[in-house]
Amino acid sequence: MKKTFLISYSLLFYFLFFVFTLVFIPLMFLGVAATRLFLGQRRAMERFRRAINHYGWVIINLLPLGLIRVNYKDLETGDRRPPFIFVANHRAASDPFLMASLPYECIQVVNVWPFKLPIFGNLAALAGYLNVRRLPFEEFRSRAVKLLSQGVSIIVFPEGTRSGSKVMGQFHGAIFRVALETGAPIAPICLMGNERTPAKGSFIMEPALIRVHKLAALRKDQYQTFSPFKLKNHVRDLIAGYIAATEVQ
Amino acid sequence: MNMADVVVKKMVDEVFIESFEIEPAKLVPGANIFIDLGLDSLDIVDLVVALQKKFKIQIRSDERLRNIRTLGDIYAFIEALKTEGSDLKTKD
Repeated sequence: MKKTFLISYSLLFYFLFFVFTLVFIPLMFLGVAATRLFLGQRRAMERFRRAINHYGWVIINLLPLGLIRVNYKDLETGDRRPPFIFVANHRAASDPFLMASLPYECIQVVNVWPFKLPIFGNLAALAGYLNVRRLPFEEFRSRAVKLLSQGVSIIVFPEGTRSGSKVMGQFHGAIFRVALETGAPIAPICLMGNERTPAKGSFIMEPALIRVHKLAALRKDQYQTFSPFKLKNHVRDLIAGYIAATEVQ
Repeated sequence: MNMADVVVKKMVDEVFIESFEIEPAKLVPGANIFIDLGLDSLDIVDLVVALQKKFKIQIRSDERLRNIRTLGDIYAFIEALKTEGSDLKTKD
C-alpha cells in the first residue's frame, strides 16, 4: 500500500514537474529576451538567474503538494549583502533545486552531466553555470572571480557527487582557492532530510521535511591565513558538525 | 625497512604534516591520499611542489605520479628515485 502510494505520488509529482517546465521555461526565455532589449546584458542575466530561482522555488515548494516541505533558515548574524560563496553538502538530486531557497542571484558549479540534460543543460549554460570538470582550473578561477566581482553568488557542492546518505564525502578544493584569492564570504549550507527525495538510484520521491540551513558566513579575516586544504576541511567540519548536532534532535 | 627508507618515510610524512596539517596518526602506508587523507587534484600540485622542495628534486613531469594512490606509493616512488641515483636530498 505504501509502495503504491509512493509510486503514485512520484508519478504525479513528475507529471506536474513536466507540465510546469513546459509552460514556464518558454515564458521565461521570452521574458528574458524582452528584458535584454531594454535593460542590457547584465540586467537581463540577473533577471534570467532570478527566474531560474523562481522556477526552482515553485518546484520544491508547490509541486510536492505539501508532502515535501522545505524549511529554510538563515543563521547569518552579519552582513547579508552578496556575493557569497555558498558551500553545501550533497545528498540527493533535489539539492540543486533546494538552492532556490537562497534569496540571491546565483550560479551553480556543476559536473559534466547536468549540462547534457535537455532544457536544464541549456539553462545552465545560458545562466553561466560553471562546469568544474570541463574547465581548466585557470578558466574556472577566472570566470568565478568575474562573477563574484559582478555581485553574483556562487553555489558549490564540493563533494562532487551525491552521497546518497548522511555521510559526507571529501571536498574538492577549487572554489576555496577562489575564495582565498577574492576574500569572498563563504556561507556553509546544510541540507538535511532530503536523502530520499529521491534516494540515489531511485526516482521515488518520499514525503519529507527538508531543512536548508544557511550558517553564518566565514569572512575573509577568519580564513585568509588558511591553506586551501585547511579551508576546505574547516568548512566541511562546520557543515558536518552542524548537521550532526541538528539531526540528533 | 632500512635506515634510508625510514628517513624518506619521515620526510614524506613531514610534508603532509607541515603542508596539509594532517594528523600523524592518519599517515599510514595504506592510506589513500584522496579518500582517506582528502587531497584533490589541485592539492596534488601543492604536494608535488612541497616534495620537490623537501627533497630538492624535480618530479613534476614524472609519469609515475599518475599511478600514485596511497601514502605507501609515495614512499616507494621517492625511494625509487633514490635508487635510480637522482640527486635526492635526504638530510634536513
